[in-house]
Amino acid sequence: MKKLLNAITCNEPKLLIKPTIWNVLANLSYLLPFLCLTYTVGNIYQYFTSGIWNPTSLWIAWGIMIGCFILTYILENEACKVTYRDGFGTSAKGRVKLAEHIRKLPLGFLMGKDSGEIGNTMMNDFSRTETAMTHIMPQLISGLLIAIIASVGLIMDDWRMGLAMFAGLPVSLLVMFAMSGLERKLDGQLSSAKVQYGGKLQEYLYGMRIIKSYNMQGEDFGKLEHACEEYRDASIRIEGSVGPLNLVSTALLRSGLPLMTIVGVYLVIGGTLELPEFALFLLVGSRVFDPLAVAIMNYSELIMCQTSGERIVNLLNEKEMPGEKAPRQDHEIKFEHVNFGYGAEQILHDVTASMKMGSMTALVGPSGSGKSTMLRLIARFYDPTEGKVLFGGIAESEMEPEKLMRKISMVFQDVYLFQDTIANNIRYGKENATQKEIEEAARMANCYDFIVKQPQGFDTMIGEGGSTLSGGEKQRISIARAMLKDAPVVLLDEATASLDPENEAQIQQAISRLITGRTVIVIAHRLKTIIGADNILVLEQGRIIESGTHKELLSRRGLYAKLWNLQTTTEGWKIN
Amino acid sequence: MCINWYTVFFIETYKTVYKMCENNENIPKGVFSLVRFRQTERTPSAKFKKERFIFMKKEKEKQGIPRLLELAGEKNSAMSGSILLSTTGTLLQLTPFIAVYYIMAELLQNAANKTPLDAPYMIHMAVYGLVGLLAGYLFTYAGGMMSHTFAYKVICKLRLKVAEHIGKLPMGYLNGTSVGKIKQIMDADIEQMEGFLAHQLPDFVSTLVMLAALFIMMFSLNGWMALACLLTIVIGFACQLIVMLKIMKSGGVKANFDALENISNSSLQYVKGMPSIKIFGQTVKSFRKFYQDIMDYRDFTIKMTEQIRPGFVRFRVLIQSIATFILPVGLLLLLKKPDDVAYATTFIFFLVLGPGAATPTLKLRTFSESMNVITEGVTRVNEILNERVMEEPEISQIPDFYDIDFKNVDFSYQKDKGILNKVSFQAKQGEITALVGPSGAGKSTIAELIPRFWDVTNGSISIGGINIKNMSSKDLMEQMSFVFQESFLFSDTIYNNIALGKPGATKTEVESAAKAAQCHNFIMALPNGYDTKIGDGGAYLSGGEEQRVSIARAILKDAPILILDEASAYADAENEHEMQRALAKLIQNKTVIMIAHRLATICNANQILVIDHGMVSECGTHDTLIKRKGIYSHMWEASMGASAWTMDSEKEV
Repeated sequence: MKKLLNAITCNEPKLLIKPTIWNVLANLSYLLPFLCLTYTVGNIYQYFTSGIWNPTSLWIAWGIMIGCFILTYILENEACKVTYRDGFGTSAKGRVKLAEHIRKLPLGFLMGKDSGEIGNTMMNDFSRTETAMTHIMPQLISGLLIAIIASVGLIMDDWRMGLAMFAGLPVSLLVMFAMSGLERKLDGQLSSAKVQYGGKLQEYLYGMRIIKSYNMQGEDFGKLEHACEEYRDASIRIEGSVGPLNLVSTALLRSGLPLMTIVGVYLVIGGTLELPEFALFLLVGSRVFDPLAVAIMNYSELIMCQTSGERIVNLLNEKEMPGEKAPRQDHEIKFEHVNFGYGAEQILHDVTASMKMGSMTALVGPSGSGKSTMLRLIARFYDPTEGKVLFGGIAESEMEPEKLMRKISMVFQDVYLFQDTIANNIRYGKENATQKEIEEAARMANCYDFIVKQPQGFDTMIGEGGSTLSGGEKQRISIARAMLKDAPVVLLDEATASLDPENEAQIQQAISRLITGRTVIVIAHRLKTIIGADNILVLEQGRIIESGTHKELLSRRGLYAKLWNLQTTTEGWKIN
Repeated sequence: MCINWYTVFFIETYKTVYKMCENNENIPKGVFSLVRFRQTERTPSAKFKKERFIFMKKEKEKQGIPRLLELAGEKNSAMSGSILLSTTGTLLQLTPFIAVYYIMAELLQNAANKTPLDAPYMIHMAVYGLVGLLAGYLFTYAGGMMSHTFAYKVICKLRLKVAEHIGKLPMGYLNGTSVGKIKQIMDADIEQMEGFLAHQLPDFVSTLVMLAALFIMMFSLNGWMALACLLTIVIGFACQLIVMLKIMKSGGVKANFDALENISNSSLQYVKGMPSIKIFGQTVKSFRKFYQDIMDYRDFTIKMTEQIRPGFVRFRVLIQSIATFILPVGLLLLLKKPDDVAYATTFIFFLVLGPGAATPTLKLRTFSESMNVITEGVTRVNEILNERVMEEPEISQIPDFYDIDFKNVDFSYQKDKGILNKVSFQAKQGEITALVGPSGAGKSTIAELIPRFWDVTNGSISIGGINIKNMSSKDLMEQMSFVFQESFLFSDTIYNNIALGKPGATKTEVESAAKAAQCHNFIMALPNGYDTKIGDGGAYLSGGEEQRVSIARAILKDAPILILDEASAYADAENEHEMQRALAKLIQNKTVIMIAHRLATICNANQILVIDHGMVSECGTHDTLIKRKGIYSHMWEASMGASAWTMDSEKEV
């Protein structure tokens, strides 16, 4: 229960108190007119049994009802105001909190996740907890409370009738709980059928070209058809088995009214129950189950919201990157016996290396050898499992991530530009850069020419609804950004995709300008580009197996020499 | 007593929006398209209106549920049956209340006349109530089962129908964006229809019937009190309606979508662009007004709530106080003739049943919203089904040689934007024809037209002198193999993935194809060799390995025409070397069309076509093109320069 409360309020169950109080008050105010109503009905019965007629008291009762009506209006109004203001306020606060938190998580954590999923949490899960907090929870609590007050009142009034009325309740609740267990079990089956269907659909859509080019439409469509029918049958099964239980539960609850009526008739005949009393029970009995039914309905909705809340709380519970030291002026980078792995699989084994200030270090090796991982460790996307990455003599894991980031620029393969103007995208490099600085950076990165050709020049929006840039152009903008940032260390991941030669030459020139006079660590895919590097680290299966300059490595006749030879042949490969 | 109606409008507005967003994997796009959708709906452009008009005139195409049923080919009778059952169920569920009324009447009669109580009568009534209730639930269950079975059948058929149709569309129809959209439709959109058919629709009808029955009963008993009851409900709804109209008028709904779009857009970018955000030291507060967007959204929703609140609260309080308004009317009437037992009974009937009229009234309103969602879903499904399928010739002609001829081919995806312009060339059997040019020039489009991913707008493409439109797609496909940049493998064993190249291939054939494609070695190194499953629960292959498997497949197929899209990414050197060896095997003695990214690869090709702005701007062998000093020689020089480039951090540039 506590877990649930925490989940739906993003760890602040306190926030529920105020809305709940107001909602309870508002709901209680509905009880009073009801009492007046029963009084009126009782009065009419009284009249017919004993002939005492008191119209004034009936009008007074009505007067009270009108008074209650106004009171209810005021209370409801207030409850509504408080509930929603608090709810929206909380989710806004929660979103900001989560956003800040995400920023402080190891980037590696985020890279392992689907960004759509986290975005979804930020939007929809918060909306759902907002709903849970603002109306499901207060409704549930006040609904239950009203039901309890009413049932206690009735049982105290006449326990026999009261018990008859709620005889079905415990069984009904039992069935309900049993049902949710069953539902969970069946749900597993259903979701596996759903996954099957999704998988087949995916294959059908993405594989259509292959499916068609190998003339296997019929066969593959058959598979999809089968999965779709399985999914249908699983859905019908779950509906068929849970549906009746659901109804049994409601029927049990609702049968309280006729049961009580039967008991009442016997009691009246037996003379142990007064007529007006019976009438009262009948009147109350016909309405008392509504709030309970609503509470039950709310409960199942609440459970759904709980999963949303849990997702938020789980994200919030992820550990932030520690460290508060500031980097020094010196920025030699050192790996000291670094071991690292994503999950169970170890990627880097005992890596020790040093990258001197102002030097260029190249990382080479087959794909999967750990080059990118090394680069990510330098940028502190992750902290090493064992060993240290030192930046200017200080372990990065003790450094404040934000301050470390100021020292590093990165130019990666997959460029992500924001949906914003080109100028603003470049401006990310330096917050208060002047237009002149931005243009200068653009010139240096060889993007000035194509930017001014855009419909609104530097103010052209990038992305949806705006201009779409080619991969090469995006890359150059990201270089301009790094240029503006002017950090002493540059991490480069050479693009593997081949662009048209013209674009490529432009980027090469831009990169040359960017790296001048800086400490550079580069992942090279084409060995030719890094023959001038001060130091080349050759990686294989997470270990540094060779290092040295191009010449030294060639004369060693090891992996580097082998790769070099291979690449010279493949480069010259001609199709015949 | 209190009945909680929290399904009421203003929560619903937000909930509906959220629901819509949830179903869109990509939130901003989802909201975006939603906004667009709404806008077109409200202010259809003249063109849109006209098109629609013509459309309606032509076929009077059905919309919404009728169209849905038509699409699924399901008979109405199952649906009518389920609605009938659940309506009966709902009505039967009223029996305990009616029993209570009769018993109360009997009690009253008894009190007035001083006759002994008719105990068996009352017991009967109570038992009827119980039996009626249980029977009601039985009917409801039967109706529910029927409607669910029906609804699941409908959506299953609908899904298959859409899938089948997609299979017949030009292959080019399936691309990144459309696939996302189709998945969304096939999953969430269609799933929503289930809920609608199985729940909302029967619910709606039975609620309507029940309300009607209730009011008929009320009016037949006493017009004045029935009127009081009805008026309260009507006034309640009016209160809401007024507020709603005000908001609609002030553009609140659109503003809501805007605010929502802003915030979801920012949040998705925030997450997606996290590496950049970290590198450039952005925070929630500094990033693209993200903080402001969150706060704006909060303020907006609070403001909106403030606007809606009065109407909403009035409505809620009014509806829950129906008895308060019946009471004075009843009292006035009663005071006129206090001894009329029949009248007093009626009065009590109203006090017992009147407030019960409120709950179902609320269900009606939510219905119209889900109705909108369904209509939108059906429209989207229709959009796919209205895509024109590829026309198949009646008699398929099969060529006996394999030269490919493009004659004045024009092509455009959309009417106004031409991609290819008067493209003519011939690719001879047994020769290599290379396509080069800047990205976006139209190289891939040319390659995609040969297997009829699209049909040409003007001009013709023929193989061995036969127009490709005169071949059945099956025969056309039989003549060619492709090696695309992105290779697609099925989640099946490696063996089966290769074997699909040739139905009925023997194990030796499969293995020798794998050997020729340089995959045998890495396959044997996998845990189960050729029987290793690919993908979830099996092995993951590297990009280069996947590509070689698809080459093996093509080798096994051994089709006379080969369309190749040279991998544009540098795999690591070893992988690349293997791939080149595989390719060399594959292209022997075929008509080869190759999209080349690295000019060095194709400088021995028999024919090089330089594609620029959708046109063949140069054509010839490497040597002749170099001599021409045109685009090709320029590209060649640039590529030589690019491959000679080295990085240097010390030299000023």
